[in-house]
Amino acid sequence: MRRLLLILSFIFLVSSVWFSLSYDGQCDPLYLNIIYLHVPSSICALLCFCIVLIGGIGYLATKKLSFDYLAAAAAEAGLIFATVLNATGCIFSKIAWNTWWTPSPRLITSAILWFLYIAYLILRSSIPATRKKAQICAVFGIIAFLDVPLVYISARLMPDIHKPNFSFDNPEQKLAFASGLIGTFLLASALIWLRYDVFQCQSKLQKHLL
Amino acid sequence: MSNLLNEVKAIFVKDIVTELRSKEVLPAMIVLGMLIVWVMRLVSEVGGINQSSMGVAAFWVALLFASLLAQERSFATEQHQDCINGLLLAPVDAGSIYIAKLLVNVTMVAIFQLIMTPIVIIAFKLKLAIGIGSLVGILLLANLSICGVGTLFSAIVQVSRIRGSLLSILVLTILLPVMMPATFALLICFDAIPAELVGTGALAMVGTLKTAVSYLIAFDVIFITASWLLFGFVVQE
Repeated sequence: MRRLLLILSFIFLVSSVWFSLSYDGQCDPLYLNIIYLHVPSSICALLCFCIVLIGGIGYLATKKLSFDYLAAAAAEAGLIFATVLNATGCIFSKIAWNTWWTPSPRLITSAILWFLYIAYLILRSSIPATRKKAQICAVFGIIAFLDVPLVYISARLMPDIHKPNFSFDNPEQKLAFASGLIGTFLLASALIWLRYDVFQCQSKLQKHLL
Repeated sequence: MSNLLNEVKAIFVKDIVTELRSKEVLPAMIVLGMLIVWVMRLVSEVGGINQSSMGVAAFWVALLFASLLAQERSFATEQHQDCINGLLLAPVDAGSIYIAKLLVNVTMVAIFQLIMTPIVIIAFKLKLAIGIGSLVGILLLANLSICGVGTLFSAIVQVSRIRGSLLSILVLTILLPVMMPATFALLICFDAIPAELVGTGALAMVGTLKTAVSYLIAFDVIFITASWLLFGFVVQE
């Protein structure tokens, strides 16, 4: 099933690239095609953070380690999407605004999201005891989730050059975006599932060894 | 309610008396703060940077790093001879421990701010553009934000292998949204907003002192409440 998800995500991502390149619009330069990967990555990075929050609350409420594994798996997948988000954002920014990074609200929010994922994973790796790690990371996941909307609001104090909304006129563009979105979602699900299973196996192995 | 106050008072007095006797935290905070301000003053002189803006930046950098020293100590001292277990075994609510530790940190940072503000004003030749009451209010709100998050994370990092460095990573990441409105508010206080930004972009639309202060209040309320509620999960075994 996981393999199927990975294959499907690959097909959707490739078809997204194919649709975006087959569109010979007169106004869109090639670099704008980055949007078909950039926007789905940002949505997935935020969704992964929601799963980290759900995992954290679930663990604190039930004390079941499976919630902690879910949160950890989502954080790792989220870090990948946050990295893609920032990397594609930097490339776009350099071409569109002639700067690799500028303090615009959305760019600050994305950067902070990346730092929050990194901080979460550093915290996880620095606590040896399993139960304590799960408890502490659940608390940090909740606090970190509260930070994301506040970063966005506070960054509003700065001038924004980021385009707030976008729309597609051409069916090829719409298809490319939809394929990119579905492909990224499937990839995120497959990655979270894969890591979750790895954590479960590690836990079983540890119990077996003890 | 009186129970809560008594519990908070007992832990607060214990920590303040310990600090008055040992003098471990406050002198280190002040020396670190002065060094940061001094280095940034030299850098601004060499680089020919706008003094007022640099002064505000120096103040926040000094405050952030010095407050980390206070926060790091607030639970590290409880680790000696397992004092934390004694504290947790006492018939005291975990929330009271958080509030007491928060108040101790706020007191330390407030003393630091009291000493460092005149030093920064003199070093960077800043001029106060609004009433002193507003300045005190902004500093207190920023103090509460920094200590509210820092106190919770200080307890969190005690179970980790890399205490000090982890505390700075966690606190600085979470505190970024406070630093923007706090810096902005202080720039208005000292009339130090760079001339090229006055009346432009978002600063003209939403960048008023009221916006920044409301934001600081919102951050304090959200994070102190969340930290108070979650503190029990951090310290319980």
